[in-house]
Amino acid sequence: MAFPTNEDVLIGLDRADDAGVYRVSDDLALIQTVDFFTPVVDDPYWFGQIAAANALSDVYAMGGTPKTAMNLVAFPVNEMDISVLRAVIQGGIDKLVEAETVLIGGHSIEDRELKYGLSVTGFVHPDRVLTKKRLRAGDRLVLTKPLGIGIVNTAVKANLASADLVETVTRIMAALNRKAAEVMDRFDVGACTDVTGFGLLGHLAEMVSGSGLGARIDSQRVPMIPEALEFAAMGLIPAGAYRNREFREGMLDFSESVERTRQDVLADPQTSGGLLISIGEGQVADLILALKDAGIADAADIGAVTAGPDETIRVD
Amino acid sequence: MKEIDARGLACPAPVLQTRAVLQDESPDRIRVVLDNPASQQNVQRFLESRGFRTLLETRGADYRVIGTLSDDEASTTSKPAAKSKMETEIKKIMVMCATDRIGFGDDDLGLKLMINFVRTLKEMGTELWRLVLVNNGVKLAIEGSEVLEDLQAYEKDGLKILVCGTCLDHFSLLEQKRVGETTNMLDIVTAMQVADKVVSI
Repeated sequence: MAFPTNEDVLIGLDRADDAGVYRVSDDLALIQTVDFFTPVVDDPYWFGQIAAANALSDVYAMGGTPKTAMNLVAFPVNEMDISVLRAVIQGGIDKLVEAETVLIGGHSIEDRELKYGLSVTGFVHPDRVLTKKRLRAGDRLVLTKPLGIGIVNTAVKANLASADLVETVTRIMAALNRKAAEVMDRFDVGACTDVTGFGLLGHLAEMVSGSGLGARIDSQRVPMIPEALEFAAMGLIPAGAYRNREFREGMLDFSESVERTRQDVLADPQTSGGLLISIGEGQVADLILALKDAGIADAADIGAVTAGPDETIRVD
Repeated sequence: MKEIDARGLACPAPVLQTRAVLQDESPDRIRVVLDNPASQQNVQRFLESRGFRTLLETRGADYRVIGTLSDDEASTTSKPAAKSKMETEIKKIMVMCATDRIGFGDDDLGLKLMINFVRTLKEMGTELWRLVLVNNGVKLAIEGSEVLEDLQAYEKDGLKILVCGTCLDHFSLLEQKRVGETTNMLDIVTAMQVADKVVSI
């Protein structure tokens, strides 16, 4: 399929990244992204926050600052009380306020199932766009939120998660990647993406793919919601985790010492997950310190970009 | 062999269905039929976490897991994972109500207390396993009961509510029951035996 494009399209559909980037002038480019989904938590207000945090995240992952947003709403107006919709939108608004992003419009349709999300536009300098494709051999890999969100949400659906755990995972999903992005902006970052539906391994595979480089993950250092490992052992794993793994099977090389449950969490699809950042070895300690100072307690150095083997992710 | 047909169900329902059968019937051998490989792997993981050795089969569009409880877990080759902490900590609590109000003295107060009790029971979380209603307790499950909606919500969330048939019959309330399964003394006694804890009101 031929997509309409021109020379100002810096990132377009020909190379799927977290968002599209369009150059307006020599010192300004627009980042555009859209995302919406069905509820991931029971509470409509928190669902609104999570959907907004998730939509905003793509702008942060491209190194930009979100500026404007528009609501996308599908709502079963005959079956659901309108107060639910108000709560969802209020959640979105509160997240936008936190992100200093203005809401300038939107569109809603009637649908059988509630869906909510946003289209977000951000600014970035054309020379400072961060993509998935600028890995450098020897770079360290940093992750800013714990994994296991999909597995824990499956346990929530099964009514097996405690109220405390529901709150924990909700807060993780609703947390903006803004602070992480602001800290990252002060460093010489190689590549960046946000970890969402393909899981850590799937998104890392996208980065490694076509780079001529490989990656190594130290699974013991990857931040994980502890209960996710226990639920994985019970088989409370979303089908997406299996698909993620299968899709990239040829690129994955697991050491025998990595337990199956840990492998499951590494492939677990995330909703509004953290940023995955590659950064020079000399700066990684400072980056982690700065992230922790900014309140991102889970930030961790989880592995490295390797010169080879080509397009392989080794997990120890 | 116990057989479960979990085709047509999305995650996590097949695991929950298998879990319920294990809790209720404690079979030594079990065959679970599924319609996709992800559910098959999930059920396999679940059975292994409960000390079963597993075998996977694919027949046409069916994905099966056959589980055999290992007598000596250490001697098996598949090394089933230890029971997860999460699971072993979940107790089975059976609550038996032989009255529709709590305590003696003031009946209005007793009724208020019972309503409050039923609504607060949810704090037991997944450990609340059976709610058994006998004698005057069956009146909680009939049309017009102040806690009917609460009980219906519990049932929807998977709590099994057993309502004494003899008692309903005695009060001529068989037709008015709106929640729970009509049950007999044998079921009640069996549930008592399987429960980790029985709370009687």
